[in-house]
Amino acid sequence: MSRPRKSISVLIALLLLLVAILSACSKSSSGQDSSNASSPANSASSASSGGDQSKEQITLRMTVWGAPEEVAAYKVAIKKFEEKYPNITVKLQHIPTDYDTKLTTMVAGNDVPDIAQMESASIAFPLAEQGKFYNLQEFLSSDPDINAERLVPNISYSLEPGNVIGLGPGPETFALFYNEDIFKDAGLTPPPSKASEAWTWDQFVEVAKKLTIDNKGRNATDADFDPKNIKQYGVNFPTWWGSYSNFIFSNGGDFLSEDGKSFALNQPAAVEALQKIADLINVHHVAPSPVQAKNIPAPNIALQTKKVAMDIDGQWVSAGLAQSKVHYNVGVLPIMQKPMTTVVCGMFSMFKSTKHPKEAWELMKALMDPDAAIDMITAGTWMPSYRDWYTEPTLLAKWTENLDSRPSGYKDAIVDVLLNSSHQTPTGYVKNFNKIMDIVNPALDKVWLGQQSAQEAMDSIANKAQAQVKGRRDVKG
Amino acid sequence: MRKGLFYGLLFTSPAILGFLIFTLGPMIASLVLSLTDYNVFREHTAFVGFDNYSKLFSGEDELFYKSLGVTFYFVLLRVPAVIFISFVIALLLNLNVRGRALFRTIIYLPSIVPAVASAMIWMWLLNPDLGLANSLLRWLHLPAGSWLYSEGSVIPSVVLTTLWGIGGTVIIFLAGLSGIPKQYYEAIEVDGGGWYSKLRHITIPMVTPTIFFNTIMTIIGSFQVFNEAYILTQGGPNNKSLFFVFYLWRTGFRDTEMGYASALAWVLFIIILFFTLIVFKTSKSWVHYEGGERT
Repeated sequence: MSRPRKSISVLIALLLLLVAILSACSKSSSGQDSSNASSPANSASSASSGGDQSKEQITLRMTVWGAPEEVAAYKVAIKKFEEKYPNITVKLQHIPTDYDTKLTTMVAGNDVPDIAQMESASIAFPLAEQGKFYNLQEFLSSDPDINAERLVPNISYSLEPGNVIGLGPGPETFALFYNEDIFKDAGLTPPPSKASEAWTWDQFVEVAKKLTIDNKGRNATDADFDPKNIKQYGVNFPTWWGSYSNFIFSNGGDFLSEDGKSFALNQPAAVEALQKIADLINVHHVAPSPVQAKNIPAPNIALQTKKVAMDIDGQWVSAGLAQSKVHYNVGVLPIMQKPMTTVVCGMFSMFKSTKHPKEAWELMKALMDPDAAIDMITAGTWMPSYRDWYTEPTLLAKWTENLDSRPSGYKDAIVDVLLNSSHQTPTGYVKNFNKIMDIVNPALDKVWLGQQSAQEAMDSIANKAQAQVKGRRDVKG
Repeated sequence: MRKGLFYGLLFTSPAILGFLIFTLGPMIASLVLSLTDYNVFREHTAFVGFDNYSKLFSGEDELFYKSLGVTFYFVLLRVPAVIFISFVIALLLNLNVRGRALFRTIIYLPSIVPAVASAMIWMWLLNPDLGLANSLLRWLHLPAGSWLYSEGSVIPSVVLTTLWGIGGTVIIFLAGLSGIPKQYYEAIEVDGGGWYSKLRHITIPMVTPTIFFNTIMTIIGSFQVFNEAYILTQGGPNNKSLFFVFYLWRTGFRDTEMGYASALAWVLFIIILFFTLIVFKTSKSWVHYEGGERT
């Protein structure tokens, strides 16, 4: 008799377990309140409502991606922040891979952090369009320490004018990195670093030709040059929107028309820029095709091993270049019509569901403080987000002088260009960017491979792309 | 008897509950969601009936047909290749040669390498300039290919990379082969038949149930290919490797159109079900069960 009873109690125990699991699931999915309601510190704080804000115990949660060095920099900033505000604990959640997938799942489960690092090209704007983020303009316009003017240009992201949804902690621009030894050996003048002296596109192509060497030692200006067996490429030109956008903007082109109503990559200025880039690969044979580019190692190694002489890349490659002790320098990008660089960076956004917007804002400020991220900045990965770090000589010296990651051309080629000739990333103002690029990218594949001209390729998809055009975020009204 | 039932249910409950909570539940949920415009980030979800499905089939979504085409091409190429090659390997491994255990281990070994890792390795092997594949071809003075990087060769190349993990299928074939009684072969030897007669009249008929099983599993697996697109090609070049599940994932997790992605998932489910049923129906005419009636 006792045996069945025992097994019944086992079954009941199992059922209870199941109920517990299910209720745990439903709790996290139905709880509209922010996730940290479950942490004891926080539920205590919400009980003692308002009143003495400075003394309540608060837990802030934030999610980031990034390499170990970046996470280490966040931890430094967080530690300083926690020392300043002893009542606040920051829970840093590092999601190294599939960040968007994970965050989407968290949103679906109503389990969102207070602050999240976001990428403008992915789910930041879809989230913002559904009103999931705070308008940071409210904080920017009332904060005593930080405001829109204090930040360098093009690092804030707006859903529409006046509605700031994210601030970038470390701007990144594009420039021309090169191996100084190659230029010296070839007896060529290295790329200028001042924007006012920048190479024209033709000058750039001419130099790139002289620096492209086949396996018999002939360069690309030689009539017998063998483009099938290239030992050293004049330039590495990654074919993603980040790098070609520099030249579209430089040539006066854009992804969309100024009013945001029409697709503009098939317009003369953009087409010309795209075609000139494709010609580097297929006409002048000075840059690897996307297929050949698979063999080009990381920029620091490519320059060090003389696989390429010049590399058009984001300034983040400085970190790797500094580490590999290659004799490198940086010049300003060649210009088509005017000097231009595209600014790209991740952003910090604050979820509307946070219970502690003031504290979250303070945390965001702490994370954006160049002092907190100084290791990352001096290593070369980031640049500061505050304007005075570019204009005040003492602050500027802190991160640009006597460092392997900041060669002699850096101040002119990167710092000045960012302040004076930079453009916002297309992901920041082109609505529906991903869907448009889903159509553009396959067509560009053919251009880079030399199977179609830029004009043909862009015209062939213009109608389909136009159907996905939904306007610009920077157009008022 | 009732006690037996009780214990049976008790001990299978982890599996049953697991199925109900983590498979059947989500399936029903996705069926319901496929009739809505569910977007994770939106507050309100509206019931839209069959709108998602009609958007799929009306041709409004070009990528739907494109990804279907890519996936069908892949299945058509991969299933016969997997079945044929793994069968031949199993036949060889079934021979009574020295070091048989070692060979069997070697063949199976790649199957335990994580899919992501082996995809990375293949990316290097198939690198057009530096990869081992092209280096070998050049050494043999054969034309080298662009493998994963040209529109024409990308799908065959992906098929090639998936053949790497054929070990599991081989093992099942081996199990099937070792189940064939020796007397049958002896009978053929007595009758004076050679290896071909053995293969034609004994081996193949006797392993048809295994072929049947492997075919179904390979079809299902091939329709669901994802890792390769995700890691090797990202759907390119020019969407020529935009596999259905990769497109589904992109719709769901990049564009966060979960309702639409659910509809895609159900279309795939129906397609797989359809082909599985076809194989089942035709199996009556070619699968031979030892000692059993054809059912």
